[in-house]
Amino acid sequence: MNSQICLSCKGIERYLGEEEERVHALRGVSLEVEAGSVHAVVGPSGCGKSTLLYILGLLDLPDTGQVAIESKSVSHLSDDELARTRNKFIGFIFQFHFLMEDFTAQENVMIPMRKLGQLSDVQMRERANDLLEAVGLGDKLRRASRHLSGGEQQRVAIARALANDPRVILADEPTGNLDTANSDRAFELLQNIVQQGGNALLLATHNPVIAEACDWIHEMKDGRIIASHPRGTRGSIV
Amino acid sequence: MTPPLYIALRFLTHRKRALLLSLSGVVFGVAIFICTQAQTQGFARYFIDSTIGSNGALVIRSRFRPRYEPLMVSAKGSKAAMGRRLYFEGITNPNEIMRVSRQFSNIVSCSPVLRGTVSARAGFENATVDLYGIDPALHAQTTDILHQLINGNLMIFRNNTSSIIIGSRLAELLQAGVGDTVQLLAPNGEFWRFTVAGIARAGIGSIDATRIYAHARVAQALLQQPSGATMIIYKLRDPNRAPALASRFETLFQHNASSWQEREESTLQLFLTLRMSVAITVSLIILLAGFGIFNVLTMSVLAKIKEIAILRSMGYRRIDISLIFLWQGAVIAVAGSLLGCSLGALMTWGVSHIPIRLRGLLYTNYFLVTWDWRHYAFATLLALIAVFIASYVPARRAAQLPPVVTIRGSR
Repeated sequence: MNSQICLSCKGIERYLGEEEERVHALRGVSLEVEAGSVHAVVGPSGCGKSTLLYILGLLDLPDTGQVAIESKSVSHLSDDELARTRNKFIGFIFQFHFLMEDFTAQENVMIPMRKLGQLSDVQMRERANDLLEAVGLGDKLRRASRHLSGGEQQRVAIARALANDPRVILADEPTGNLDTANSDRAFELLQNIVQQGGNALLLATHNPVIAEACDWIHEMKDGRIIASHPRGTRGSIV
Repeated sequence: MTPPLYIALRFLTHRKRALLLSLSGVVFGVAIFICTQAQTQGFARYFIDSTIGSNGALVIRSRFRPRYEPLMVSAKGSKAAMGRRLYFEGITNPNEIMRVSRQFSNIVSCSPVLRGTVSARAGFENATVDLYGIDPALHAQTTDILHQLINGNLMIFRNNTSSIIIGSRLAELLQAGVGDTVQLLAPNGEFWRFTVAGIARAGIGSIDATRIYAHARVAQALLQQPSGATMIIYKLRDPNRAPALASRFETLFQHNASSWQEREESTLQLFLTLRMSVAITVSLIILLAGFGIFNVLTMSVLAKIKEIAILRSMGYRRIDISLIFLWQGAVIAVAGSLLGCSLGALMTWGVSHIPIRLRGLLYTNYFLVTWDWRHYAFATLLALIAVFIASYVPARRAAQLPPVVTIRGSR
């Protein structure tokens, strides 16, 4: 790893649930993600992939350990400061698109930009149009999000995650709800964006083809990263 | 437009049925509040204007003996007697009292009145009447008698000492019109003949059914009164300050002085009770509307739970999420209040045109309403408070929702 680390965590421990249902979800996880790279986190269901992503995305707090964005620790930040950091530095893509159904595709993409407040209304509209063009939805800008197909909705979600040009894109099984064609298309799209924009992409996936195409693969089991491999140095994932 | 307001407006406009339900509750609550307050206060205001217009805002009556309390020693068990005043009928030196009282800035004018009860007869009809001996010019300055004349002329009355002005209901009772003769029975048993110069309608049943105005000197002779005036009535610039002035006059003139508030206390309390009762009932309607909004917004929070989580993941703060729901409440409250005020004004106008024949306590042919901006302000304030409380709880709940739990639960 080099000095252009845009996201890192060290010694993350996280317990979920209460009393008898308490689970040790993450056990001392450490990870570094550098700009312009694509990382995959793989492992069986319940191994802690999503929990790790939520903690790295500042949506959840670790019980112990540290998260740093661009080498700056975020442990001391207040809830409002974490929200601001999320808005500016992180783009989320979920398995279920989670689009705002009362808004059009274009308006959905503009929602993070409105919060950031750095662009005028016209500029936000233009940027949203460009992003939707890039994901192949240039002709469906003003279509209500609920009237888009599943693949189209996920592409809008990708465009929305890129709205504020975040340093890090976190994707929790972004293609898990798509058919093979749409899945391949969505991943290619993300790869291209990362390569062209210099962002970092960390995705949790069950899809071995997608994982193999990433620059780094981190294997997780029982809340631990048991192995990290650069592309092509690892046997095929079952 | 801030992002929370932008999102709030979209949430609102995309749930038209819920919006309509919430809005209609506020609109009707505010409108009914305004309309009912306009009515109840309308009748009260009419009564107050009429009573002040006929009997003055302040009245000085009998003289009382000054009490030298520091010098008085009470006998055992005679506490009640200590507080009692000793009154002498009539005003002592009314001209001097009027001269001094005119120096007060709140006094517009004053009129001495010699008052007595006599029997009146016209044709075969008899009635017990309240005779007011007045100076026509001073009385016209002090009261609304000029506007109250529905028949006849004050000038005719002024120029003819054997003429009288009688109340409209008394005129009906005696079947007497302008130019007719009415006889008044003096205490010595003689009947005095008067010509009706005018018929006045004060609008208050008790006045219109009993009152007769005659010239002061004629009334004094008829009633065989030594005193030229039994009371002085005052017109004030600010009738609301009448109680304070009454207290001052009592000390100054050693005469009983009573404000219109004191004089009409029981009737005013009746109006106030009625108004309060209606206000409480209508406030409950507004609170019910608030409860409806609470339900609608709570349902909205539940329906938008995923949107809230995704907004949080995009960097929206807890306060932003709260504001989204508070803005929805605010928009409903503001739009509902504006529409409610308009509808309230329309309803008030409509009610004021409903024919009603009242001939009892008040005289009116239509519903009486008052146009008071405070009704609109109070109704709006009430709606804003109710809606704020109704939206605060769902807004707070929305802000507290942990996004990770929602996102995990949606997998």
